[in-house]
Amino acid sequence: MASAGLLDALLQGLITGMIIAAGALGLSLIYSIAEVPNFAHGDMITIGAYLALALNKPGAIPFVPEFGGLPLIAAGVLGVAVAGSTGAIYEVAIFRRFRSKGADLITMVIVSLGLALVLRNVVLFLVGSGNINYDTERVTNTNVELYLTGNGLSVQTVQRQAGDLVTLGEWGYGWLSLLAIVVVAAAVGVGVYRWRSDDASFETVHLVSPRVFGVASGIVALAALATVLQGAPHTIDAAVWSTSVGVSIKYGVIIGLTLVTMLAMNLLLKGTKTGRAMRATADNMALAEIRGVNINRVQLVVWVLAALLTALAGVLTGWFASNLNPNMGFSLLLPIFAAVIMGGITSPYGAVLASLIIGVSMDVGVFLLPAEFATYRTAIAFVILIGVLLVKPEGLWGDV
Amino acid sequence: MALADFFISLLTFVTIYSLFGLGLNVKFGFTGLIDFGHVAYFMIGAYVTVFVAMPAGLSETYEGLTGLGLATAFAGVPGGDLLGWLVALVVGMAAAALVSLLVGIPTIRLREDYLAITALGIATILNAVFHNERWLFNGAFGIREVHEPLSGVFPIGTGSFQLNLLLFGLPSVAILGYAAYRTAKVVRPLGVRPALLGTGATLALAGSVVFVITTMTGLVVDLGVLALNVDNTIAFVLLVGSVVAGRAALTETDHIGALLALASALLFTLWYLGQPLVALVADGETADLLLNLFWLYDATAGSAGGLDYDRFFFLFTLAFLVGAYLWVERTVNSPYGRVLRAVREDESVPEALGKPTFRYKIQSLMFGSALAGAAGGLWAANIGFIDPTQFASTVTFFAYTAVIIGGTANNRGVVLGTAVFWVINSGTRFLDDFFPSEYAQQLAALRLILIGALLIVILYYRPEGMLGEQDYDINLGRGGASDD
Repeated sequence: MASAGLLDALLQGLITGMIIAAGALGLSLIYSIAEVPNFAHGDMITIGAYLALALNKPGAIPFVPEFGGLPLIAAGVLGVAVAGSTGAIYEVAIFRRFRSKGADLITMVIVSLGLALVLRNVVLFLVGSGNINYDTERVTNTNVELYLTGNGLSVQTVQRQAGDLVTLGEWGYGWLSLLAIVVVAAAVGVGVYRWRSDDASFETVHLVSPRVFGVASGIVALAALATVLQGAPHTIDAAVWSTSVGVSIKYGVIIGLTLVTMLAMNLLLKGTKTGRAMRATADNMALAEIRGVNINRVQLVVWVLAALLTALAGVLTGWFASNLNPNMGFSLLLPIFAAVIMGGITSPYGAVLASLIIGVSMDVGVFLLPAEFATYRTAIAFVILIGVLLVKPEGLWGDV
Repeated sequence: MALADFFISLLTFVTIYSLFGLGLNVKFGFTGLIDFGHVAYFMIGAYVTVFVAMPAGLSETYEGLTGLGLATAFAGVPGGDLLGWLVALVVGMAAAALVSLLVGIPTIRLREDYLAITALGIATILNAVFHNERWLFNGAFGIREVHEPLSGVFPIGTGSFQLNLLLFGLPSVAILGYAAYRTAKVVRPLGVRPALLGTGATLALAGSVVFVITTMTGLVVDLGVLALNVDNTIAFVLLVGSVVAGRAALTETDHIGALLALASALLFTLWYLGQPLVALVADGETADLLLNLFWLYDATAGSAGGLDYDRFFFLFTLAFLVGAYLWVERTVNSPYGRVLRAVREDESVPEALGKPTFRYKIQSLMFGSALAGAAGGLWAANIGFIDPTQFASTVTFFAYTAVIIGGTANNRGVVLGTAVFWVINSGTRFLDDFFPSEYAQQLAALRLILIGALLIVILYYRPEGMLGEQDYDINLGRGGASDD
């Protein structure tokens, strides 16, 4: 029986980071293209989560007619889609008007604050302040337990079923195969990076940056080899070191969904005409307009995209934590802002990377600090942000 | 609760939050610093004032730091507990200013949006610290042993009923009369026709609300309210009449402010004097009317009535507000205040003229925070119990809303905006009585939706707020102040 350790905290942090990244991606777009430091972003997350709730569990909301409810997947997709149209409403009804009046940054901050107040209280008005969760199947956690013994690494997957611990699978790796796995995976990663970056020149625009490609193929190679080279388990009684990592299907879904979303955003920004218009607008709105970019259309796309992303983050948060409440978005607002500013507000890629860093440092920090500091999870994100602002106010990655 | 008592408590709230808003106006209105962590200084002022004044070992349930007991330290001197409390308040203000200095030194150079988010984060973290660390100030359990200065002295009276009535009643009537006179001065330029139309519209609106409320006995979402009956038809006709008259009044005059003042004065009169007047006419009952007119006089205090502690505390906070108002006015009207405004407009200009703008910004931050701290100390004494949930970041946002509604960089506007905000947020609470109690949370949310929408609408149609920026003794001259 191994106990949870640093590795578990790392994985938790990765999930937190992925959820923050979905929000941060949208905020970074709004921040750089619409030039609104959007304080309503957290409450947009809440709205997205509750829209899915309205479709998933209509009985929980007094003003929605009872129709039995959709499964969470359908409700989530529909909810995110509906949330996208609310993004269009914010842009057309509020922010477009203020932009056409030439409102400055301070005004935009306060306007978004007003919107945040309205959104949060709409939720309070319709649903109330209590905790609630989605109507969906319970997901059981599987613990992957790693034991380091004299003969190599041994792996056990354990699940708690009806109160009893059941061992699902057990296998091991000898020292040689472990070494082989690590070396080959590293070689694959480096090789792919070299191969992708050999055409690098000033004009090259990589759809996926060689570094990301390299790391991704390294991880794929690692997973593939680890599956292929499974050997007999070792006796774990004499384990030198052991740790347990909790995983569940939720982890895979969250990582997969956010990765796909990021890839889609990447394709949109780099591969389409709208994406080029968006990047041009972010660079210089007046110049883009002179060159024939339809600014209003670009801004509309930005707000819809941001609303979609926040709704995704909301649904994932609500599902992952099995809990929705009207404050869920606001508590994510600070880490999201921290990620966006840390990544450099004009860089969506920086925002994603910074989200991962912040998510990991929040969870690893809570793990490393004494137990009574667990309530300061958000504060950790903030300390990082303040540190970055003081040392490098333009963000870690600056412009892309 | 009698209407007059509710009126007093509402006024006390408005006074304390106006003081809080004045502090925000120094930072945000006059210097242009977006401090989204303003509530942190309110919280620090409240906690430190309570902590310094609180004697040790008053309660078993308190596990925080032992209080300094300044409230009892001057027990020998007459009015010693007030003196001790005042010292505690000064310490609270100093603590708030000091913390803002520590926060300001690293963050004040940041861009405005970064400053906003950083300040919000610091306030959130400070709140979490106060919430979690029980050894500090009893954590989430809060402090119940709040010293209320001079609370032992009240109620005071002369022992004679007539004299008491004269002493406290006459100033009350005089204040109401003066308020009516000032309102009349504002409404005067309106002209007869728009004024009559406005009056008609307001009365019709009020009548329609009365009809709806009196017919509604049960649920809010009861469709029966919409059914066709005599009361509903009258209410509907009145509502339509109100809208028609209101539109007509708006098209006939440019003095929208005067029209609004007229409508609010009428609504206030109906709310405050209308119900007792009905009682007077119907049952010959004069007690309510007299109580409302002589609102500073409390008949239930002591044997012959007198001034109770709540009423005294309102006057006490009012004195603080007046003092702070004069202080802020003096500051912004001085050459010093002109530098602050220059920093707000374009920091590089005063910098080029050799002004140490960093120091000016820090000082403005500390000044505003000290005022927030004073408001916090008064808040604690008014409520009699503090815990960290009272100091959530929404309080900052409410203050911003109030300042912006009233008029950014206008000290009178702060008071007006705070009054408007709290009338919407608390003054309409009497409407709750007409709805089932389980809808209280919905109604509270509805008010905040209304306030958020009002904030956006004001920013769009009248970004300078209801009153606009104030005039200064030292002005740049007509036309010289524009940007181009």
